[in-house]
Amino acid sequence: MKLASLLLTRIALAAVTLLLVSVFTFAAVEIIPGDMATRYLGQEATPQAVAVLKKRMGLDRPAPDRYLEWIRGFVVGDFGVSLASERPVSEVLGPKIRNTAILAVSAFILYLPLTLIPAAFAAVNRDRAADHLLTSLNLLAVSIPPFLLATLLLVVFVVVLPWFPAISAVTEETSSWDLVQLLVLPTATLAISMAAYTMRMLRDNLIEILDADFVRMAELKGMSRQRVLWRHALPNALGPSLNITALNVAFLVSGVVVVEKVFAYPGFGRQMVDALLIEDQPVVQATVLLASGVYIAANLLADLGQILLNPRLREG
Amino acid sequence: MTTRASLGVVSFSRADVVRFWRQAPASFRIGTAVLAFHIAVAITGPLWAPYGQADLFVGPALAAPGWSHPFGTDVLGRDVFSRVVHGAHLVIVLSVLGTLIGVVVGTTIGLLSAYLRGWFDTLVMRLIETLISIPYLVLALLAVAAAGPEYAGDPVLLVLVVGFVFSPRVARMARAAGLDVVTRDFVTIARLRGESPWSVVVRELLPNATGTLLVEFALRTGYAPVLIGTLGFLGFGLRPPSPEWGLMISEYRNLLLASPFVVLMPGLMLASLIIGLNMWTEGLARILGRSVRYDE
Repeated sequence: MKLASLLLTRIALAAVTLLLVSVFTFAAVEIIPGDMATRYLGQEATPQAVAVLKKRMGLDRPAPDRYLEWIRGFVVGDFGVSLASERPVSEVLGPKIRNTAILAVSAFILYLPLTLIPAAFAAVNRDRAADHLLTSLNLLAVSIPPFLLATLLLVVFVVVLPWFPAISAVTEETSSWDLVQLLVLPTATLAISMAAYTMRMLRDNLIEILDADFVRMAELKGMSRQRVLWRHALPNALGPSLNITALNVAFLVSGVVVVEKVFAYPGFGRQMVDALLIEDQPVVQATVLLASGVYIAANLLADLGQILLNPRLREG
Repeated sequence: MTTRASLGVVSFSRADVVRFWRQAPASFRIGTAVLAFHIAVAITGPLWAPYGQADLFVGPALAAPGWSHPFGTDVLGRDVFSRVVHGAHLVIVLSVLGTLIGVVVGTTIGLLSAYLRGWFDTLVMRLIETLISIPYLVLALLAVAAAGPEYAGDPVLLVLVVGFVFSPRVARMARAAGLDVVTRDFVTIARLRGESPWSVVVRELLPNATGTLLVEFALRTGYAPVLIGTLGFLGFGLRPPSPEWGLMISEYRNLLLASPFVVLMPGLMLASLIIGLNMWTEGLARILGRSVRYDE
């Protein structure tokens, strides 16, 4: 029963953290100077008009009441009404979240081979020219911030070689081939940035494991190098990469903000930046809490995965 | 005769420095060279840059790179080379100050938390966990927005935001480093001597966490230009006509077709600064890690 209580503790802690994040987010948006009603009506609005709007928006009530109402709505999927578009936030965010999910999933799919293959290749050829080349390339990739990488890809593949469209305008009519074309550069940016962080760690883990006795044993048994690498070494090197994967989810949340801005991709991250710029508070609150929720969930899953993968904890 | 320099209790001769340099990992030496270049540009740049950072129409608009304008000019006829050079000290000073705030605040909170334990530790840990659970860029954007339009583009705000985003992450590291030492005898003895918690933290825990914190500081200093550049790029950092590189890349993005150079140059400077910092950090970690292993 030790395992069950361990898992439950982790889940409870994640829930507490999410709750604290919601309080923090609400408070942060609350202290943005000026109130929503005045900003919405403009500087010339009469005090009466502001007061009427405040009452309608519920701004005349104390902050704790409004927080409770907001969080109660959040649980059932009612995120309030966007100030900019006067539409429900869930309606505004829905298609954006779908677009970002497509981007994030394709980035993750590309990220896996982009990490595994160079890491395995470098580890097997350790301290040879190929390893040095890959490690140097990796250092370069780590050192180029995503907004710069995205801009450089734009220069090369849109300006110099006009292979891809510069703007990723996704609409209902976008055909699936067009969608693939639009996704290539944003996906590549995210995948390269993520892979850069993981590849080095996976390479070091792999090298450590390739030196371990059980791998030597497998080699001495006459097993082929390929088989030793993919069947014995790699699965054992993946464990510590779980936490990195959770970190990558955090990176994705920050990464989509940048990449969607560069490629004008209509997603969640761009919506968040736009909402912050025009101070559309309900949208800001919803996007920040959702982004944090994704990160907390990813961390929780990595934690649970590690507990479940650890035989000592499983049996206890 | 050997010249001896002294840093408090540590004294070293020129021969020691030469030996240290020869034995240092290649990444440390390359990193130091790159950083030396950047620091030299940052300090001396304003003296020899041909034009000021915001001088308008010093040449024709959108001139191609040439002798008079090595990186060309932008739409407003500003010399891109001068602007890139003027950006160097801006980026370095903001990054170092922001990181310094983050490391000082984070270390103080983390070590105190490790030493005091109890309700203080629980409270601090929950707070840290909460702040870390908001992706760092989102947290930074939220902090800039919460400061309001009055302070938008203020370098002081930017430094504080970098410190704010880094401090919970540093605090978690410092707390872990502190917990490693807190059960040792010398800490117990210091406590029994009747030293105040502050004194124990500063005189017993801090010296033992120095290695970890030094690497953490170096690492974060490498993240800071990325964060500052990203904020500038998204319109949440410094405001035009500041020659901060991220902002320049964002401003000149539309000119990609006309002259890619105006985007590539600030990009190259930013990337090389980060490469230098990353290599230096890796070398430093290896040097410190090696000395730690010798101790065992």
